[in-house]
Amino acid sequence: MNGWSRHARVLAICWRAAVAGEVEYRFNFFSNVALSAFWMVWAAAGASVYFRFTGAVAGWTQAEVLVVIGLFFTLNGLRQALLQPNLERMTDYVRLGTLDFLLTKPFDAQLLVSLRQVRVNNLLDPVLGLALTTVGVVLSGRGVSVVALAAFGLLLGCAVLLLYALTVLLMALAVVLVAAEELGRVSYAFVELSRFPVELYRNPVQAILTVVPVAFLTTYPAAALLGRLDPYLLLIAPAVAAGAVVLASLAWRRSLRSYAGASA
Amino acid sequence: MRDVLTAYPPLVRSATLVAATYRGRVALSLLTGFFPLLLMGVWLTVVAESGPPKGWTTGDFLSYYAAATLLWNLSGDHVVWQWDADMRSGDLSVRLLRPVHPFHQYATNDLGHRLVFLTVLVPALVLAALLVPGLDYPAGPVRLAAVAAALVLAYAVSLLMASTFALIGFWSTQTSNAWLLWWGLGSFASGWVAPLALMPDWLRSVAVVLPFRTAMGFPVELLMGRLDAREAAFGYAVGLGWLAAFAVLYRIIWRHGVRRYQAVAG
Repeated sequence: MNGWSRHARVLAICWRAAVAGEVEYRFNFFSNVALSAFWMVWAAAGASVYFRFTGAVAGWTQAEVLVVIGLFFTLNGLRQALLQPNLERMTDYVRLGTLDFLLTKPFDAQLLVSLRQVRVNNLLDPVLGLALTTVGVVLSGRGVSVVALAAFGLLLGCAVLLLYALTVLLMALAVVLVAAEELGRVSYAFVELSRFPVELYRNPVQAILTVVPVAFLTTYPAAALLGRLDPYLLLIAPAVAAGAVVLASLAWRRSLRSYAGASA
Repeated sequence: MRDVLTAYPPLVRSATLVAATYRGRVALSLLTGFFPLLLMGVWLTVVAESGPPKGWTTGDFLSYYAAATLLWNLSGDHVVWQWDADMRSGDLSVRLLRPVHPFHQYATNDLGHRLVFLTVLVPALVLAALLVPGLDYPAGPVRLAAVAAALVLAYAVSLLMASTFALIGFWSTQTSNAWLLWWGLGSFASGWVAPLALMPDWLRSVAVVLPFRTAMGFPVELLMGRLDAREAAFGYAVGLGWLAAFAVLYRIIWRHGVRRYQAVAG
C-alpha cells in the first residue's frame, strides 16, 4: 500500500472517531448550524448599510461583496472545523507529553497532529458559505464560465493550503512557546481580515493585506469567479501557497528538534 | 450589602493582578479587538469615493470607531462565558459556598480585567486624539464627567444584561448560542454594526429605547458631542431604567433557577 492512501485511510479513521463522539449531541449540532446561518445573514445585513449610501465601494457592488462574505464563511468554517480543534490541543500535547506518544506513531507526525481532530459543529459552515457565494454570483447577474469556475477552484484550493500552512506554523510556535490558546487568535484574526474584499480598504492597509497575504483567501477566488482576475495570479497563488506549506513544514521540523519531551 | 461592598476592592484588586500577570494575553486580545476598525476602513473608502454619508466625514468616522473600539473592549458581557463554563463543569458549586453571591464574584473578576484594559486603552485613545488629524473630541470638564458616568452605566447595563442571560444555563445547555443570537440582533441597535445615525429611521427610533445603545452607542455619541442636553438626559434615563429592569429580572430568575441547579462536579 502506498503512503498516500495509507495516510488518507488513517486520517479517515481519526475523523470518524471524532465525528462519532460529537453527533451524540444532536440538538447542540443543529443549534450551532442555525447560529452559523444567523451569522451569515448578520454579515450580509451589516454590509448592506454601506450600500444605503453608494452603489459600489471600490468597484464592488453589494452582490459581489456577498460573494466574498460567502467565501469568508467557507474558509472560517474550515478553520473552525478542521484546524482550530487541532491547534487548541497543541498546548496540552506539549505540556502533558502527549506529543512524545504521537511522534512515535508510524505516521507522518505533522499530518497526524494537524489534522487528527474535527469539530462537527462547524462542518456545514462551508456549505452555507458556498450557498451565499452562489446567491451573490446570481444576484450580480454575471454568467460563470467553465474557465472562471476552474480558476476559482484552483484559487480556493490555494487559500485552504495557505490557511493550513499558517496553522502548522502556529503549531511549530506552540511547541516552542507552549501557549497555543493565544496563538489560535492569530489564525482567527488572519481569516477575519478577509471578511471584505481587500480593495474596500484604502492604502496602506490594502497593500499590507495583499502582502500578508489576506487577499489570497477570499478576494482573489471571488475575483476569479466574477471573471475579473489578473491572469498572472493563477501562477502566483499556487507558488505562494506551496511556498507557505514548505516553509511551515520546515518550521515544524525545526521546532521538533528543540523539543525535549515532557513525559516520564 | 455592606459586606458585599467591602468585598469588592480586594476581589477586584486580585483580578487586576491576575490580568496584569498574563500581559501577553491582554496584549493579544487587544490586538484581535480590531474588528470595529475594519468596519471603519470601509466607511473611509465610502467617504473618499462618494462623499460624506449624511455629513459624516473621515474625522467623524475616526472619532466614532476609536471610541467604539474602547467601548467594545470595556463591555461587561464576557461574564456569560464564565457562568456557562462553571455551570457545565460544576465549579459553580464552589462559588455557591462562598459568602459572596456568584454574581459579585464574576463581576469583580471581570471588573479587574477591564481596569487593566482601561489603563492601556484610555491613554491610547487620548494619544490618538492628539496625534491623528481629524480624530477629535470636543472635550470639556463637564462633558468628560458626563461621558465617565455614561461609561459606568454602559458597563453596568452590559454586565447585568449578560448575567441575567447567563441564568438560562439553569434550564438549558444552549446559553452561549442564545446569548450570541441576542447580541447579534442587538448589535444593529447598539451602534456596533454602524453608527445609529446612518441606520434607517425606523431602526434608530426603536434603538434609542433598547438597552443595547446604552452599552455602546450612547457614550460614544456623548463623547463626540452629538447629543444635546435633552437627548443626553433621555439616554441616561433609558439606561437607568434598563439597569433597574435587569436587576429585578436577575433576582427573580435567580431565585427560580438556583433551585434547579444540580451540581455536575465540584
